Amino acid sequence: MNEKSNLPAPRKFLSWFNPVGRQTGGWAFILNRITALGLTLFLYIHLLVLGKLAQGPNAYDSFVRLTHQPLFIFGELLVVAAAFLHGLNGVRIVLTTFGISVPYQKQFFYALMTLAIIAIVIFGYHMFTS
Amino acid sequence: MSDNKWNITLKIHRQKEDQPPYFQEFHLEVDPDEYVLDAVERVWAFMDRTLCFRHACHHSTCGACGMRVNNVEKLTCITPIRAVTQDGGVIKVEPLRNFPVVSDLVVDMSNLYARMEMVGAKAVLPVTQAEIERPPATWPADAEQYLRLTDCIECGLCISACPSAATSPSYLGPAVLAAAQTVGLTAETLPIVDSEDGLWRCHSAFECTAVCPSAVDPARRIMNLRQQVVRQRLSSLLKKS
Amino acid sequence: MNTASAPKSGENVWIWLLKILTGPLLFVLLGIHLIVNHLVGKEGVLRYAEVISYYNNPVIPLMEIIFLATVVTHSLTGLRSIILDLKPSRSILQILDLLFLLAGISAFLYGTRLIMIIAAVQ
Repeated sequence: MNEKSNLPAPRKFLSWFNPVGRQTGGWAFILNRITALGLTLFLYIHLLVLGKLAQGPNAYDSFVRLTHQPLFIFGELLVVAAAFLHGLNGVRIVLTTFGISVPYQKQFFYALMTLAIIAIVIFGYHMFTS
Repeated sequence: MSDNKWNITLKIHRQKEDQPPYFQEFHLEVDPDEYVLDAVERVWAFMDRTLCFRHACHHSTCGACGMRVNNVEKLTCITPIRAVTQDGGVIKVEPLRNFPVVSDLVVDMSNLYARMEMVGAKAVLPVTQAEIERPPATWPADAEQYLRLTDCIECGLCISACPSAATSPSYLGPAVLAAAQTVGLTAETLPIVDSEDGLWRCHSAFECTAVCPSAVDPARRIMNLRQQVVRQRLSSLLKKS
Repeated sequence: MNTASAPKSGENVWIWLLKILTGPLLFVLLGIHLIVNHLVGKEGVLRYAEVISYYNNPVIPLMEIIFLATVVTHSLTGLRSIILDLKPSRSILQILDLLFLLAGISAFLYGTRLIMIIAAVQ
């Protein structure tokens, strides 16, 4: 009996991110997982970078000047996007977990992601024009 | 049944013993209102008798004919060809995921059946406990005596679709957890579902409910069971103090 | 298939509850954090002097410390769930749990110390 191809496998973690054949909830799962990993990475980088505050005004303010560069702002926008997507998808997860709106989880996902996109656009506009 | 015939290609997953798997194409003339299972059966009957596939009732009651059709889990006996392709199109047919392949389209479901038994899955339930859609506002006094077959036909589509089941064979899976919810939280089921391979490995992907052909709605049942377990654990914790 | 036994060290009720309760809490805390840090200042990103001045209000360091604890908890319990899906063996899981605990505690201590330093500057 060939046990290779169809079995679950711990190292199949790339299959988490495979959208083929998935439906709405599956995409939500993928999105949530990717944004979770991205935000975790950001969290620790952010904490380290803030250490510069303890080095005094010169070190920190020169870093602040760096944050005005477009590439940096774009990076920050990615973080904002990830936060909105993860957070609003999280709202759907919390609601369905406590039994609210379970039959409407698909519609909820679309509505919340639309909200997220609107929020990201608004934030992006403000971040790039100030 | 309509008169027009379609020419389609079935791209079927083949795998024998320890040989590497491959796809084999078969060209057929079919009636588009027939079902994918009919096409597979015709391939077996007239083109290749070595093709292995599972089927029995042909009316979505036995749960034997679950396969992945164009990457989506389906019960092939109720999947019209019209729904998955067009004239001249290709239908890709693969076995379910997350079960070991025995041969071609047949997978070994013994793990699922064993777990359903372990959790005490019921074949029938009194109609008052069956959580049917649109129950009456009040059940008549003698309603308990009327029994109803439980919805789950143990077809395994949910386990094939579940991303958590894709990473470990020990995850109980949506079907088993849903069955446990119909049994209810008892001294036997509680440690099974509140375990490291139980309820907490669900990540709300809802793929199970999306592919279930029998309206079991495993995702809702898993959520419901979680609430019951949390309530149970919290109240026992508070009682101790 | 030994699942019919007492809860083991993988995912369980309490860790899961922690994750799902810190989530909504973060909605509020992250919202406050973003407003205070990015909408109050003139240019979006505050300069050193601006940070010092608003950290003098004791509510701010308190809020930031609570926010830090919540976000580190949510992030690490979430990360742990993702890694649990890879089915590490019991011994590897014990090591990983230790690493998570260390990462969480050190992140919290580091951040809190940083907050206290900033709050102490006049």
